[in-house]
This record gives sequence, C-alpha cells and structure tokens, in this order.
Amino acid sequence: MCAEAAEPIIRIRNVHKWFGQVHAVRGVDLDVRRGEVVVIIGPSGSGKSTLLRCINHLETPDQGTVVVDGIPLTESKNINKVREEVGMVFQQFNLFPHLSVLENICLAQRIVKKRERKQAIDIAHDLLAKVGIPEKADSFPGQLSGGQQQRVAIARALAMQPKIMLFDEPTSALDPEMITEVLDVMLDLAREGMTMVVVSHEMGFVRAAAKRIVFMDEGTIIEETTPEELFTNPKQERTRQFLSKILH
Amino acid sequence: MPDLERLEKMPRPAAPGRFAGWDRWWLLFAAVGVLVVAMTTLWPDPYRRIVAFMADGIVVTIKTTVISYLCILIVGLIAGLGRISKNVAVRGVASVYVEVVRGIPLLVQLMFIYYASPALVQGLGNYLLANVPALRGAGESLANFSINPQVGAIFGLTFCYGAYVGEIYRAGIESIPRGQMEAARSLGMSYVQAMRHVILPQAIRTILPPLGNEFVALLKDSSLVSVVAVADMTRRGREFMSQNFNPLETWTMVALLYLLLTVFAARIVSYVERRSSYVR
Repeated sequence: MCAEAAEPIIRIRNVHKWFGQVHAVRGVDLDVRRGEVVVIIGPSGSGKSTLLRCINHLETPDQGTVVVDGIPLTESKNINKVREEVGMVFQQFNLFPHLSVLENICLAQRIVKKRERKQAIDIAHDLLAKVGIPEKADSFPGQLSGGQQQRVAIARALAMQPKIMLFDEPTSALDPEMITEVLDVMLDLAREGMTMVVVSHEMGFVRAAAKRIVFMDEGTIIEETTPEELFTNPKQERTRQFLSKILH
Repeated sequence: MPDLERLEKMPRPAAPGRFAGWDRWWLLFAAVGVLVVAMTTLWPDPYRRIVAFMADGIVVTIKTTVISYLCILIVGLIAGLGRISKNVAVRGVASVYVEVVRGIPLLVQLMFIYYASPALVQGLGNYLLANVPALRGAGESLANFSINPQVGAIFGLTFCYGAYVGEIYRAGIESIPRGQMEAARSLGMSYVQAMRHVILPQAIRTILPPLGNEFVALLKDSSLVSVVAVADMTRRGREFMSQNFNPLETWTMVALLYLLLTVFAARIVSYVERRSSYVR
C-alpha cells in the first residue's frame, strides 16, 4: 500500500511540444501521486493546457515520455487503454448535443466498457444525483445552463470510473454565479481521494483542495509549491508578478 | 426614451395557429397533380396515351434515382472520410477522384462507361487471348464483356455524384467543433466509434439540406441516362414523339411528370429536415 502510494500515477519526463514554430512546452518534468490534487496555474499561452492534454494524448509530445499508471503512452493501443482510465473535463463542456443527458453519460459506458444498458443507466442516474441534477436526465444539453452542462460533463467522465481526472479550465466559460456549483462537485471529488490535475485560476479551489501548485510560464515549470507557500511566500519573482495580477 | 407607441405597432410574429407547422409548398404539388389528372381526363388523346406509354419509364427513372442515391450516400461517405484522412495516400486518392470527376461532364462520364469502358475491357481480353495462353478463360470472358445499360447508368451516376456528395460530407464533418472528437476520444472511444456515434449523427443533420438538394438534382440528371440505352422517362418520351409526331404535347407531359416527382421529393426532404432538428 505504502509503496503503491509513493509510486507516481503520472510520470512526465522532459516533454516538449511544438505547434509549427511555437515551442509550447519546453522540457517539463512532473510527477503526480495517487490521490493527489495538483493545480497548474500560469498566464495564457504558458503551455498548461497543452501539458494537460499530453497526459491523455490529445496532443502527442514531440519529445519526452508520459507514463500513466505504469502504461507508457507510445503505442496507439495503450492510448485508448489510458484514456479509459483518465477522465477529462473541458472548458467548453463538449457534451454531445444530439444526445440527451442520460445518453451522453451512457454512450461510452455502452460502447467502450460494454456495459449492459440497465447497468449503464443505473450508474448514470447515481452520478447525476451525485452532481446534484438528477432531474435533468432526459433534458438535452442545449436546454441546460453552463454550470449544469459542466456537471453533466463531469458525470460523463466519472461514469468510466477513471483513476485520474483532468480538468482544463472547467469554470472559465461559466457565468460567475455558476462557478460555485461546479467547484463544489470538484471539491467533493477531491475529498473522496480522486487523483486530479486541474488547470484553473480559481484560487478558492486552490486553497480548499490543492495539495500542490505548479506555476508555468513560457512552456516551463517556474515553481512547484504548496498553496500556503504560494500565497504567503512565493519564491520566484515571476510567480509574484503573476499572483499580483490575478489576486485583487 | 424609447418610443413605446412605435414598438406597439411593430409587426409581431404570428401566433402559432392551427396550421403553424403546415408546409404550404404541398399546394404546388397538389396543383401540378391536379393539372396532370385534368389533362389526362379531359384529353385522353394524346395525354392519357402518353402517360400509359411512359409508365414503365417512370418506374425506371425512380428506380435508377433511388438505387443510385443509396450507392451515392455510401460512396460519398467513403470519399468524404478519405478527404479528411490523416493518411497521405488515402487523402491523395480521394482528392484526385473528386477533382477528376468534378472536371468531366456527367454526360461524357456516362458515355465513357457505356461505350468506352467495354471496348477497354474487350481490348484487354483480346490481348490476353493472343499473348497469355495461361489466362485463356479469363481472356475469353473479358473479350466478350458487355455492360448492362441499367447497371452502367447507376454506376455512372454513383461515380459522378459520389464526388459531389463526398464534398458535402466533408464540409459537414468539418463543421462539427473539434471538441466533440476530443471529448469522445478522451472517453476511450476509437476514431471509428467517435465518428459513428458522435460526429456523423451531428454532421448528417447539418448536411441534410444539401443532401436533399442532391437527390432532387440527381432525379433530374437521371434523364441523361436516356442517351445510354436506358428506357427512362426521357427516352420513352422521345420514342413516343417520334412515333406520333406531337412534340408539344409529349414534352409538356414529360416536363409535368418530372415536376411532379421533384416537387414531391423536395417536400419529403424538407419534412425530414424539420423532423431532425434539435436545440444546439
């Protein structure tokens, strides 16, 4: 048990990613341990989303290795295997607009996990209750508010029973009054011991749930620290500048 | 200060009445139908004779169009997926197909398939017979190759329209936001599963109007198969005219029958479109 906990579930080594001439990620090393909540912050264009997307291979690193739960992401067979274990929540929700909320949550359970219809539906209802919108099962995404859509997206990812959840700016496209309802669901997940990597500037969430903060700029990790350290005593000048801009 | 009185006078959207969802273009269909029935009833000679003479042609036109269209939907999907493939060879083949087909008139393509392609195959058969004794059986069957006009016509229409419809599929697939594919893939679906369950169902709703237009266009263009020995409406009309020397009556009736079919098809297309829309 102890040995397992110490072994990182995500190991990123010397990852580089170019987009044409743009060197978006420049040699990043990062370990995430089981049950850890890591928040990545940094200015826009600093490569944080790209790094997150390298973890489940939505972006292929041009150099370096990503190992998730002992599975190296090099062969395409492994990619689908890893993606089943890694849930992802996007800034734009990306619900399937032609399917009802229930079908959104059931689709991948049925065709990827090959679950029975009944079982998939039961899981979907449980998860909808968990994210606080059990009454929306038969609605379509277009009929829901942004906050409700994002909670469905979280339920859809959880239905695959992932070991890791990735959040790519999950509250950035939401109206202010809807941010809390999504953050509450994320806090619950963190309390249950889910391994989470979150790109977000929600300092409330950072304070309440983050075990570690990673500050990125220009494609590299500038500083890795704890929330307390970050708010009271950031080591790097660049981190200080950034924080003074976002904390007001 | 907004002028409240003027706002009051602004036209308002009509309240949804009893006929709110009723498609008034059906009236055009009804009008053409009534006209055809009236003409055949009031002047059995020549109009009823024309319709009776052309009855088998109407069946051939509908059959050719429907079968071709089903084949086109499949060929078009393959061409469209090929055009967006990451594989350079697949994309190249699909692109060349689309560009070549779009650069040659449909009439010429039909002529080529009906007249030129059998000559090509027969030539190959004769070459085998003369030079490769080992393939004598294959050579003989190739040398006696002939093409069934109906099959050739369906093949030609499919080959040509498949390219155009392929471009429609491609545009439809590319209109779906990238995030949809990413979300599906991040849930562990394969590319094929994501295409089939997430991307295509959405893309097809987007492309229903142009796909429907292609059906109507195909129905009209199917008249071109009359030049490659298929006894469709147009060919039967020409035969009737040359037997009875009454071009005005014949072509009026042929035109009306085509109109009846296309207006009906357009209504069905529009009905399917409205049934399949959803809230974005």
